[in-house]
Amino acid sequence: MAKKILIIEDDKFLRELISQKLLKEGYDIAEAVDGEKGVKSVKDEKPDLILLDLILPGMDGFEVLVKIKEDSEIAQIPVIILSNLGQKDDIEKGLKMGAVDYLIKAHFTPGEIISKIKAILK
Amino acid sequence: MFWKKKNNNSLFLGSDLTIANYLSDGVLIFDKNNKLVFVNLQTEEFFQIRKEKILGKSILGLSRFLGFDPLVSLLVGTTKEFFRKELQIRENFILEVTSSFMIIDGEKCGTLVILHNVSREKIAEKMKSEFVTLAAHQLRTPTSAVKWSLQALLDGDLGELNKKQREILEKIYNTNDKVIRLVKDLLNLAQIEEGKFLSKIVLSDIEDIIQLIVNTNKSLIKEKKLNFEFKKPKDKLPKVMLDVEKMKIAVENIFDNALRYTPSGGNISISLEDKKKEIEVKIQDTGMGIPRNQQAKVFAKFFRAANIMKVDTEGTGLGLYIAKNIIEAHGGKIWFESEKDKGSSFYFTIPVKESFREFITGRFY
Repeated sequence: MAKKILIIEDDKFLRELISQKLLKEGYDIAEAVDGEKGVKSVKDEKPDLILLDLILPGMDGFEVLVKIKEDSEIAQIPVIILSNLGQKDDIEKGLKMGAVDYLIKAHFTPGEIISKIKAILK
Repeated sequence: MFWKKKNNNSLFLGSDLTIANYLSDGVLIFDKNNKLVFVNLQTEEFFQIRKEKILGKSILGLSRFLGFDPLVSLLVGTTKEFFRKELQIRENFILEVTSSFMIIDGEKCGTLVILHNVSREKIAEKMKSEFVTLAAHQLRTPTSAVKWSLQALLDGDLGELNKKQREILEKIYNTNDKVIRLVKDLLNLAQIEEGKFLSKIVLSDIEDIIQLIVNTNKSLIKEKKLNFEFKKPKDKLPKVMLDVEKMKIAVENIFDNALRYTPSGGNISISLEDKKKEIEVKIQDTGMGIPRNQQAKVFAKFFRAANIMKVDTEGTGLGLYIAKNIIEAHGGKIWFESEKDKGSSFYFTIPVKESFREFITGRFY
């Protein structure tokens, strides 16, 4: 069965670009446009991996990460932070909070992001 | 002069203190036993305290009054005749403190402390760099979207491309990457200017950091057929106190210039030398060099030499400015020798642990 990736990202264009790439690679995808919906989708969809943006309307990505890690049913799902924030403090904070990787959007292409996903889901 | 030395070497304050009293800067005078003998109106205003409460107290004795703590630790911790330092008294209230010994007939008879309110400038500076940070972050979403969609096109996800289409898309892709690099540099710049630049300082090997930067550029060195040599000294170099992430940026910026501006087949070498109190790093190339009449501006923000602008439009003019700030924040120095069409040698030093400690504690702001 195809692995399912949940994309929590508020920018429509970016979400579409990464979803298309993932679909093409044979993944199932689920999408959420803000933090609240993101947390709900994690619970409902039980994805194999989560791509999480940090700056989101309402509940931000760090809060989403806390909610995921608090809930033992979903805490083990790997989360990759995919963000614009590239300051060392943010990266360290994200990794300390349990993200498996931290990618700065502008410095990676969807292809490279998919290689990271593949490596983690192996 | 409103103070005089009496014959017993103690400080005598004359009756005409009106000028000092009405200065818009805060003034405090301590006698040779470090007892507070004068404060003006502005000081009372700054600390919201009546002078009757604090006059006659020793420097240490002042620390029990609200808000005096930072000033007391600053004054107690120093033995310098003169120093100037910025001090945050409370949120959004920053004073530039100038302290100088008053010396009459070669003998210290007191200390004059002047408090200048720089809060407005500091807040404006902070807002400016916050704006740059915000704007740079905002630019990242659209530049990412452009990068990702161009990549999809170039990968052939939306159909095969002919040669001409591919060429122009590659040009757009590279232009967009230039914007991405500029954003990255602007964020580094904003951080420097916020003054929070060195964050995590650990004892490290400068050699390892340089090796790391060299390794990430191996393919480019090969591609340009450059003769590269990393000359390490025979004896192990002493470890140095570094913010590793920042030092990587500095080394990368200098090395990147050498790679970028040295034509194919040229030579680049990096050498390290133990100068006892510091380690000297030299990055030498046989590149385009910097014209003599422009050498004075090399470390200035947004500077790009005229000769390189013609052949390379990629640079942002921030690399060496950032490198200089990082090196200097570590207590090091950076300089260069260069001749147009012959090449450049960039040097920088990193103080060894003991010298770094001296630098950090005795730093003037």
